[in-house]
Amino acid sequence: MTEMFSTLFGQNDAQGPPGSSSLGFGPGKPAPPMPQNQVSMTGQMPPQLGDEGPALRKPGAMNEPFYLLRELPVGNELTGNTNLITHYNLEHAYNKFCGKKVKEKLSNFLPELPGMIDCPGTQDGSSLRSLIDKPPVCGNSFSPLTGALLTGFRLHTGPLPEQYRLMHIQPPKKKSKHKHKHHRPQDPLPQETPSDSDPKKKKKKRDDDPDRKKKKKDKKKKKNRHSPDHPGLAGSQPNSNSLR
Amino acid sequence: MAEKFDNLEEHLEKFIENIRQMGIIVSDFQPSSQTGLNQKLNFMISGLQDIEKCRQQLHEINVPLEVFEYIDQGRNPQLYTKECLERALARNEQVKGKIDTMTKFKSLLISELSKVFPEEMSKYKAIHGEDAPS
Repeated sequence: MTEMFSTLFGQNDAQGPPGSSSLGFGPGKPAPPMPQNQVSMTGQMPPQLGDEGPALRKPGAMNEPFYLLRELPVGNELTGNTNLITHYNLEHAYNKFCGKKVKEKLSNFLPELPGMIDCPGTQDGSSLRSLIDKPPVCGNSFSPLTGALLTGFRLHTGPLPEQYRLMHIQPPKKKSKHKHKHHRPQDPLPQETPSDSDPKKKKKKRDDDPDRKKKKKDKKKKKNRHSPDHPGLAGSQPNSNSLR
Repeated sequence: MAEKFDNLEEHLEKFIENIRQMGIIVSDFQPSSQTGLNQKLNFMISGLQDIEKCRQQLHEINVPLEVFEYIDQGRNPQLYTKECLERALARNEQVKGKIDTMTKFKSLLISELSKVFPEEMSKYKAIHGEDAPS
């Protein structure tokens, strides 16, 4: 390593003594033959090294007693040394979000929004990312529908098929720990509207009765299983509506 | 500023409520519901017009894309704000620690160098002053 260093300085001095002796590395030794790679390196060495240095030094270091001593950078008033949250008056926000427990689900942030909003948007194609990837057509004006256009919205009477019934499905609410009530979390609950109040209340009452009737029937069937007279489970009694 | 958001929020809530009511009408449609449905359809279009008007007031608002990821996952977007604040505070503390450590090292180095090279260090202090800016 020192031999390479000395030979590099030795070649910069024009026909002078070996560079190693002038730099005080040791007695003058003939420079060993250098491989070709190092020859090319010396050719590329900048002329700053050696006696030509002072003219090419940076102005800030020229008059200093210490080599390469530069001026210290101007200190910023705002550094990591200050509490940036108090500096930008974010204490209230910090206490609000980090002091209390923030609930995980989106429905806690938007409690009044209907439908199943806690599910990932990619499942039903309602993700915001898809809006960015495929932005909708904008710029057209919205004009109200005329009578001719409204004829296209004449619908058939009757309920929707079950596969299209999405509006009435609500997310599961608080799980009741009472053993008497048997709530099914997957059951779609009807929404409270003035138009749907009376018939669905009646349906709720009817639902309570068939549950009790079923329990009684199950008990009867269990008793009848043991008796040799009855053929077996027929199970042909009419049930209530599928909507519960 | 908050008024623009309140205005938009109000329009969006009305729009969503209107859509929800349309869904109820459609789920079990009756012939007498046709006029109501037509009215809801036109109310939906006027709602879109109102939302379009709100857009002009909010064109300077920027939303980080990471918030969209939270919403798409069904997570509360306030968690993003919380995590940003926590990360900022942690980073602030980390940088403050580095500054304190470097300040202590500087003072220690100057004191030790002053013991070994008193003359040079006096020149250095004369150039940069006794209290160099940190």
